[in-house]
Amino acid sequence: MSSLKEYAEKFDCGDETERVYAAEDIGYLNAPEGVPALLERLPQECSPAVRDAIFQALIRIDGDIAIEGAVQLLASEDPQIRNQAVDVLRRKGAQAIPFLNTVMRAGDKDLRKLVLDVLSEVQSGDAGEIYQAALSDQDPNVVITAVENLGRMRAAEYRGRIEDLLLSDAHPMLVAACLEALLGIGNPASLEAIRRRFPELGALPDFLLASSLKAVAALGSEREFAEVARLLPVRGRHLRPAILSALLAIYPRCRPGADADLLAVLQALVENGDPPLCRYQAVRVLGFWADSDDVCAFLVSCLSSPERLVRLGAAESLRMATRPGLDPRPGLDPVLEARAREESDEEVLQALGS
Amino acid sequence: MPELSVDQFQTLSQVIYQKLGLHFDEKKIYFLKTRVAKRMAALRMDDPREYLFLLTYADPQGREMQALANLVTTNETYMFREYDQLQAFANHCLPEVLSDKQARGERTLRIWCAGCSSGEEPYTLAMILQEVFPQAQNWDCEIAATDIDENMLRKVATARYGHRSVAEVPDEYRNKYLVEEGNEYVVRRRTTALVTPFHLNLHDRMAMRAMRGFDFIFCRNVLIYFDDLSRKAVVDHFYNALNRGGYVFLGHSESIGRVTTAFKLKRFETHLVYVKE
Repeated sequence: MSSLKEYAEKFDCGDETERVYAAEDIGYLNAPEGVPALLERLPQECSPAVRDAIFQALIRIDGDIAIEGAVQLLASEDPQIRNQAVDVLRRKGAQAIPFLNTVMRAGDKDLRKLVLDVLSEVQSGDAGEIYQAALSDQDPNVVITAVENLGRMRAAEYRGRIEDLLLSDAHPMLVAACLEALLGIGNPASLEAIRRRFPELGALPDFLLASSLKAVAALGSEREFAEVARLLPVRGRHLRPAILSALLAIYPRCRPGADADLLAVLQALVENGDPPLCRYQAVRVLGFWADSDDVCAFLVSCLSSPERLVRLGAAESLRMATRPGLDPRPGLDPVLEARAREESDEEVLQALGS
Repeated sequence: MPELSVDQFQTLSQVIYQKLGLHFDEKKIYFLKTRVAKRMAALRMDDPREYLFLLTYADPQGREMQALANLVTTNETYMFREYDQLQAFANHCLPEVLSDKQARGERTLRIWCAGCSSGEEPYTLAMILQEVFPQAQNWDCEIAATDIDENMLRKVATARYGHRSVAEVPDEYRNKYLVEEGNEYVVRRRTTALVTPFHLNLHDRMAMRAMRGFDFIFCRNVLIYFDDLSRKAVVDHFYNALNRGGYVFLGHSESIGRVTTAFKLKRFETHLVYVKE
């Protein structure tokens, strides 16, 4: 292993590039004996480029010793080293789980949280023991991170535990995490637990309302559509995108009839200079009732809006209304064709034509 | 089939940014929606949620992200592409580097176009260099134009381009640096003389180590086709290949900050550039 010795000696070189190459070469040797040399250099190395190269080398070296080395680094005082150790362990994937299990049993709350940070990007069925422990952890941050991971992984087997956490008198951030996780898991039965926890959406503070809206968007039906629609004129402007997203998502599941108050609010939103994406959403919601003459006329007028996203939304909505199987509007095609002749934006043109 | 909703679009934009470094703002909602619909049809998926889950958590090799990348990026290359970035180079970075060199009594300038394709970019840089620094002819200036594809390198060597390649060249440059020959434009000899095309595989570790002493590296819209580990390895090589005070330019919407912490971010008016301090 003379080359390893040679490379390790280059760590004392004043030239940063040579030190980067030394770390890189040790990584490509892919020998467990290289790990101690890398770990020894790390705390005294001040160049971020060399540090980066040392972590890349740890990723390249196979076997337990590189994993153990990275696990040790999770306890570093230096946040950058901790974060890079998390990255190395993510790359090691399922092989790191037995080592992480040990940390989960014996480590302090910060280490336990870092274990879950690692697992956030590791898809493995072997992490069950860690998640069982994490969901009962004393530290709310550990529980929240576990719930977030499980939601992202759509771990349906944990749905009951997450619903229980939602219904318990939990930390508000944990409640929000549970809502997001149940949304990720996507079982319609979770709606009942959500509604038990929050029987009235209108009474929720903003930060919980945003998460609840995502959940009812994914799982809600006619009752939720009406309730969400009532929020639109009364809640803050910053919540409008979430409210409109929920309406767009719920509608196809229940197809409620037009409500005059909602139509008026939506039209005002399109006209009142809200952010373009919000106006686009409002136009798309209006499109659900494009079979109404008034709504259709409004959407046609939107095709001349100076705002490109409003025109795009109107074009998509009106095109939907002309699709076979939906309520046909025989006069609409020529209107869209005429508009297409005046439109210069390529994507709006595509939407008008599709 | 449900279409991509606004919040799904926002999630997708974040995922694409994290994985490819490409930024798609809200103006691109229709663009992304139509590309995702194509991918979903190819995969026989009918729910965008499923597609987002696939991209985010069930694509460890990055194959689907690569398939999407092929739809959302363009291989088209032309002279003076991403003009804003070139302005930052011409108006701020280049004068700064040249003035530091002059102060040190140096008379060399080295630029590397990594993944130069058919050569539009290195010739653009050669034109800019001659325009903003006429003294270049008295310096030892070199623009190394490298690519893995020998066919592309042959095109660089011929320095002949069709109308599409030169459409964005400002008139004052076109008259000075290009000659019209039939349906083509040929780069003038004094400009081609600055450019040295040669073969280089960005994955070849030892060949990359030979690339040293550059003041600028341009590698625009190339790394998006690499996986995370290779992208990081290449950017680390760029760091080693640059002189202190040298700049690296990736594609307009690509970010280096999420790949390495070694470079420093620097602002010139509205432009953000990465420098090796």
